[in-house]
Amino acid sequence: MTAPLEYARASRWYGPVIALNDVSVAVPPGVTGLLGPNGAGKSTFLKLAAGLLAPSQGEVRLLGRPAWGSPEAFHRVGLCPEVDAFWEHLTGLEFLTALLRLTGFGEKECRERAENALHQVALHDAKDRKVGGYSKGMRQRVKLAQSIAHDPDVLLLDEPVSGMDPVNRRRVIDLVKKMGREGKTVVVSSHILHEVEAMTRRVLLIHNGRILAEGDVREIRDLMDEHPHTVSLRARDPRHLARAVVASPHVLSLSFGADGEWLTVQTARPDEFYSALPEAAVEAGVTEMYSPDEDLESVFRYLVAR
Amino acid sequence: MSALPGPAAGEAPPRDTTRPLAFLPAARGVFGLALEGMVWSRRSLLMAVLLGLPVVFALLYRGFLVAKVPARVTGLDLYAIIVAVYYVRNVLPLAALFYATSLIADEVEGRTLTYLLTRPLPRPAILAGKFAAYLGTTLALTLPALVATFLLLATARGFAGIGTAVPELFRDMGVVALALASYGALFTLLGVVLRRPVIPGLLFLFVWELVVHIPGYLPRLTLTGWLGSLVHHQPAEEGLAGLFQRQVLPVGEGLVVLLAASALFLALSVWVFSRREYVMEQ
Amino acid sequence: MPIYDQSYRRYEARGGLRQARFWPITREALRIVLAKRLFLVLLLASWLPLVVRMVQVYAVARFPEAGRLLPVDGRLFGEFLNQQILFTVFLSVFGGAGLVANDLRTGAILVYLSRPLTRRDYVLGKLGVLLSLNLSVTLVPGLLLYLVALALVPGQFAEWKLLWIGPAIVLHAFVIALSVSLLVLAVSALSRSARVAGLGFVGLFIGLEIVRGVLVTMADRPEAHVLSLLNNLRMVGNLLFGIAARGAAVPAALPPIVLALGALACLAVLRARVRAVEIVK
Repeated sequence: MTAPLEYARASRWYGPVIALNDVSVAVPPGVTGLLGPNGAGKSTFLKLAAGLLAPSQGEVRLLGRPAWGSPEAFHRVGLCPEVDAFWEHLTGLEFLTALLRLTGFGEKECRERAENALHQVALHDAKDRKVGGYSKGMRQRVKLAQSIAHDPDVLLLDEPVSGMDPVNRRRVIDLVKKMGREGKTVVVSSHILHEVEAMTRRVLLIHNGRILAEGDVREIRDLMDEHPHTVSLRARDPRHLARAVVASPHVLSLSFGADGEWLTVQTARPDEFYSALPEAAVEAGVTEMYSPDEDLESVFRYLVAR
Repeated sequence: MSALPGPAAGEAPPRDTTRPLAFLPAARGVFGLALEGMVWSRRSLLMAVLLGLPVVFALLYRGFLVAKVPARVTGLDLYAIIVAVYYVRNVLPLAALFYATSLIADEVEGRTLTYLLTRPLPRPAILAGKFAAYLGTTLALTLPALVATFLLLATARGFAGIGTAVPELFRDMGVVALALASYGALFTLLGVVLRRPVIPGLLFLFVWELVVHIPGYLPRLTLTGWLGSLVHHQPAEEGLAGLFQRQVLPVGEGLVVLLAASALFLALSVWVFSRREYVMEQ
Repeated sequence: MPIYDQSYRRYEARGGLRQARFWPITREALRIVLAKRLFLVLLLASWLPLVVRMVQVYAVARFPEAGRLLPVDGRLFGEFLNQQILFTVFLSVFGGAGLVANDLRTGAILVYLSRPLTRRDYVLGKLGVLLSLNLSVTLVPGLLLYLVALALVPGQFAEWKLLWIGPAIVLHAFVIALSVSLLVLAVSALSRSARVAGLGFVGLFIGLEIVRGVLVTMADRPEAHVLSLLNNLRMVGNLLFGIAARGAAVPAALPPIVLALGALACLAVLRARVRAVEIVK
């Protein structure tokens, strides 16, 4: 069965500048984070998926048909663009109903769907206010609402939580996760790694127009075995802990914190290290543990620097 | 997202999600959205003033007559000048330039084109809907003013002879519609092809269209030449332009040429718009 | 102490506002406009009538009998400047229609006014752009033509009684430039789109001229003649350079008064629209 969104050796250039370079990827149902710094090619990736651009080379297929030149796909696809642009004279409700009308819904259903979508993004109370008078966060939410109002199977979100306060950001993250659980294909583009981490563990890392890596964050991390894994532990007796772990052949280095409570270990085999840790941890009185290399940022930094 | 209720009785049938919306419903949807944006805008206020000004002229003329101020022309002559000079040669082309160059350019500049391009709409329907909105708006602003002007001026000295003049009114209404359609189609094409269509549009109107005064074949390459020939009343030119009287081109040919030109410009516009990529950046 | 304190220190100097605060706005905007090739083509085309007039002056200098067909006297400069009015319209649309409109659309006015600039500086800066462009096709070629005339036909122009021509050229050029510039700026302030502002300005400019034409056809009254900006500017030129006007006699004071009122109206529009924040109701 074909994936809802597929890139087959797709490239796109603007004049002499290559925005996307020989990308082959199949985006499965669920939430996929599209990560990369500014200028990496995320927007181009999404615009190709949304059929707003044609690939200069290769193919991009959306729901089994070419993304470019297939407007029928938009019955089942929603796009939340990054640009902050609206028909400012319309109210939030009018904005959504107008777009739903253009998607082919009847008048009554347009209104119902519009109100439902505005509820989902907590904008129902402001539905009769002109979009021109909305705050930045409200504008972002109404943009998201128009992308979900027609219940699409594929959702392309370009920086969806940009400009939102923490409460609404949480609401959107929960909404995205819920849509992923329902089997929809959601691609979320962002350069803010912890936001994407909150939504999904499946990521596509993009840099300079190329895909650096794709898959589960942990799996990507595990594959980077030549890059030492750092673990920091806080213990009652860090030196006792150090004696316990230093004998292991996969421990590459140890260092102590300035306060005398922390031990930082570098290991080439994190899984084996974690397996051997519990006994030593109890004896040394470990109270806290974290690994800066578990997060996406370190994965990304490492991949970019390669 | 939670499941929504299906369509109730009397509502539209379920959507066919394997095809884009049919051309007519799609164009109608875009027409409604575009019309709302066009009608309640500052730009339309200016156009309403310009297109409705002849009513003021007619009222002024009637006022001059009442005040026994010597008028230089009869009411019907003034009506002829308003149609031929004010509307067909000047204001209608300006109105077309004003609206038609902006049909797509406004959406690009406002970065709202993305919303239209990510709906299941065939691209030709988007342009058709917007063009229909332009035509509807301009006709709605012009035709009532034209009729009111005619009635005020044709009856300035009583109702005698008005019956013979009424067919002229209907003819002029047709010419107005054709002028808006042909100039509109041309400027729609300019607006879709060029990033900055205003200056070329102005150069077309105020430089190229002047060749209508040159004898020979060149007037046939202007829109004003054909439109002017459809207007029954041709006021005499004054000043330098009087040295170069316009040719009167065949009426039947004019109708065909103008309709064909409008269709061609629109078809080209649709062709270019359907193939163009629009990249809207923050 | 060998190690100096590198922490933040308050700037104690007193700084007043600079004098020519508007100048950076004008300079940068001019730089952007002059970088466009199409604009330079327009500018060059605007100077073509100067070449034609110079040829006219030369022809009269060379063949004095030609002066009967193409008179070279004080009126030459008035006619030349009146012709240049249309070029100021083109240049203003191209280079000036978006000056305020683009800033309104992008919210850049807030950025300007968060600097030590007043609204007056902002308007002066933008006006400076348009004045520079318009004077470059009126004042500069007008004075050049005068110099050429002085050089080629000194017997005709190097006389005390014709000394008024120089100041008249300067005055008329400034009246044209200021009137057109203020109107473009006011229309630009009424829109958020450079294109709509440009078209609006053209519509207003040409529309008023058409209205004048129709009203004059109805009944040639002086009031009709002052409705059009183009005609008012021409009448000022006719007045300054002694060119006989066609149509009903218009009181000499009326065109300048109408132009002054128009300028005040434009300034009122700018005052109302140039604000850092717009309240959306």
